Amino acid sequence: MSKLEIKNLKAKIGDKEILKGLDLALEEGKVHVIMGPNGAGKSTLSKAIVGHYDINVTDGKIIFKGKDITNEEPEIRALEGLFLSFQHPVEIPGVNNAYFLRTAVNAKRRYEGKEELNAAEFLREMREIAKEIGLKPELLNRSLNVGFSGGEKKRNEVLQMMMLKPDVIILDEIDSGLDIDALKDVSKGINKLRDGKRSFLIITHYSRILDYVKPDYIHILMDGKVVKTAGPELVEKLEKEGYSSFEEK
Amino acid sequence: MRVDILNALDSNGILKECKASSLKKHIANRLYEVKIPTKKSEKYRYFDIEDFTSKDLEVVSTSKDKFKQQGKSLVIEDGEVVSAPEGVEVEIGEFLDVDNDHFDGLYYLNHLLTQNAIILRVKRDISFNIKHIFNKEEVFLNYRVVIFIDANSFVEIYESIEANSKDSQILSGYDIFLSRDANLKFFKNQTLNENSSLPIFTNYFKVDSNATFKYGTFDFAKSSGLNLFKSELHSNSSFNAMHLLFTTSEIKAGTISEIVHLDKSSKSNQMAKNILTNGSRGIFDALIRVTKAAKYTSAHQNSKAILLDSKSYMASKPQLEIYIDELEASHGSTTGQLDENALFYLRSRGINKAEAVKMLILAFANEAIEFVDNKEIANHIYVDFEKAYYGSSDIECIKTCHECEDMILGS
Repeated sequence: MSKLEIKNLKAKIGDKEILKGLDLALEEGKVHVIMGPNGAGKSTLSKAIVGHYDINVTDGKIIFKGKDITNEEPEIRALEGLFLSFQHPVEIPGVNNAYFLRTAVNAKRRYEGKEELNAAEFLREMREIAKEIGLKPELLNRSLNVGFSGGEKKRNEVLQMMMLKPDVIILDEIDSGLDIDALKDVSKGINKLRDGKRSFLIITHYSRILDYVKPDYIHILMDGKVVKTAGPELVEKLEKEGYSSFEEK
Repeated sequence: MRVDILNALDSNGILKECKASSLKKHIANRLYEVKIPTKKSEKYRYFDIEDFTSKDLEVVSTSKDKFKQQGKSLVIEDGEVVSAPEGVEVEIGEFLDVDNDHFDGLYYLNHLLTQNAIILRVKRDISFNIKHIFNKEEVFLNYRVVIFIDANSFVEIYESIEANSKDSQILSGYDIFLSRDANLKFFKNQTLNENSSLPIFTNYFKVDSNATFKYGTFDFAKSSGLNLFKSELHSNSSFNAMHLLFTTSEIKAGTISEIVHLDKSSKSNQMAKNILTNGSRGIFDALIRVTKAAKYTSAHQNSKAILLDSKSYMASKPQLEIYIDELEASHGSTTGQLDENALFYLRSRGINKAEAVKMLILAFANEAIEFVDNKEIANHIYVDFEKAYYGSSDIECIKTCHECEDMILGS
């Protein structure tokens, strides 16, 4: 059964149509990878799934755990279990990183009918995870992403992901700008969340992260549509032949 | 007394009307030149100054010179000193050494109406509070505080207001003389209750060579009010100002200032942050002047405003007036809504829109409150901000500081 199903999705940014009838289904517990050239619509797809204000969905449906969430507010999508790790996480001066994360975690727990975490429970879990993924403890008490390096921002996204425990995780170029150590730490976090139920959608230009996070499916996105879906062996073909071999003749 | 009638008088007439001694003739001369502000005065254009100047109210001024000297607070109730802090010399006496080049007519009026100023002499390192209490109804309350800070002293002052009266007008302010190598931190919490009396504070600061002045004003007001100051900077001195304004009702409030670099290598940095809602008006009219003698100066000024509704308005006018080339200077002003990207990021983590908006507003204010490096004072200000914003304060330790983490975890 698919966790997330996208049917004939058409979306615009401003007047420009970027997604032109995209179909995609994420299977439960599987790692799906979207690859495609610049401008193919990869980031637009990730934003459309989480309800970004820039994206105007003009047709099609996004079905998440059997519910149509095409027109849902972004926070409802998140509370239902969708998570987007941003390509460029925003810096928010004055919002304390730990306070923000505790607010988010407790919002989700309330939504799920669970008791909120108290300060001690929250801090203990947050510190443990931060240590595991190599996020410096002092960054937990700083303003959200402010002055963080590229790698620290991505580690912070992984921390949020691990604390919020979503059902579907979309990683938009999580590997961009990461050195090898950061890439390993981030991959470690992702692999820890692979529990056979949680689904992943990794959006990437490069196959580098796939050395550490083993994918189940590769999708090629060209000009707003998925043009090819296959197993991990597709990466090898892509490396050899480039995207031009997938262009519609 | 209606203060606007003074504009029709010459300096002798002003002296007589203000019942001031002839020793204050130079002050009356200056008021005659500068005039009581009207709605046409550029600096008061966005403030309804005529509400202040056109009412006929009895003038009440400082007279009592007996008070207790104990604890660490200067308490001024309706212009009279009730108690004074230990470790500070306090006298009630005539003060004539005013700034002869102040931009504000009300500064001179305040001096003319003040027969006896509250004069503080600080000769050692000390931290104390100043609390103003306004109780008297329907009066024109006028008093002035003069503070001399000796060389090499390190002084911290926290000022707050308890405004209980409704229909009075308050004209007050400070003349602060910061001697060489002195260091002053002055944090003013100007928050007023709803329908409070209307206060205008008009100040003069002299920052002598190598002295450092850190000046923070915080106003989470439900009533109109203004804070004006002129700050003169001498060689190698530094003036660092932060102004945070958060308004929750249809009022007019803000800062009008002039910072004057008089000598070389002086530094100023002024930042105003404004959050306006419910049809309120924020005012930031601030000039930095760098004179010919002030080479190698650094002068920076910025104003940021967030408007939370379409009826609110920010009158922001940062200005630089520069007469030399050898300096580093900048100024800017932005007025807008909340950052949509930031708002979306928070919502994408499951935080609902209303809560995310609150977090961003608190964050905007936090940046200004973090200017206060004394945690106890910063907490007072934070609590007042939360009360103004949420209607109550519910500070959890994790919101305001993180030193408690180790305590919570027992590690």
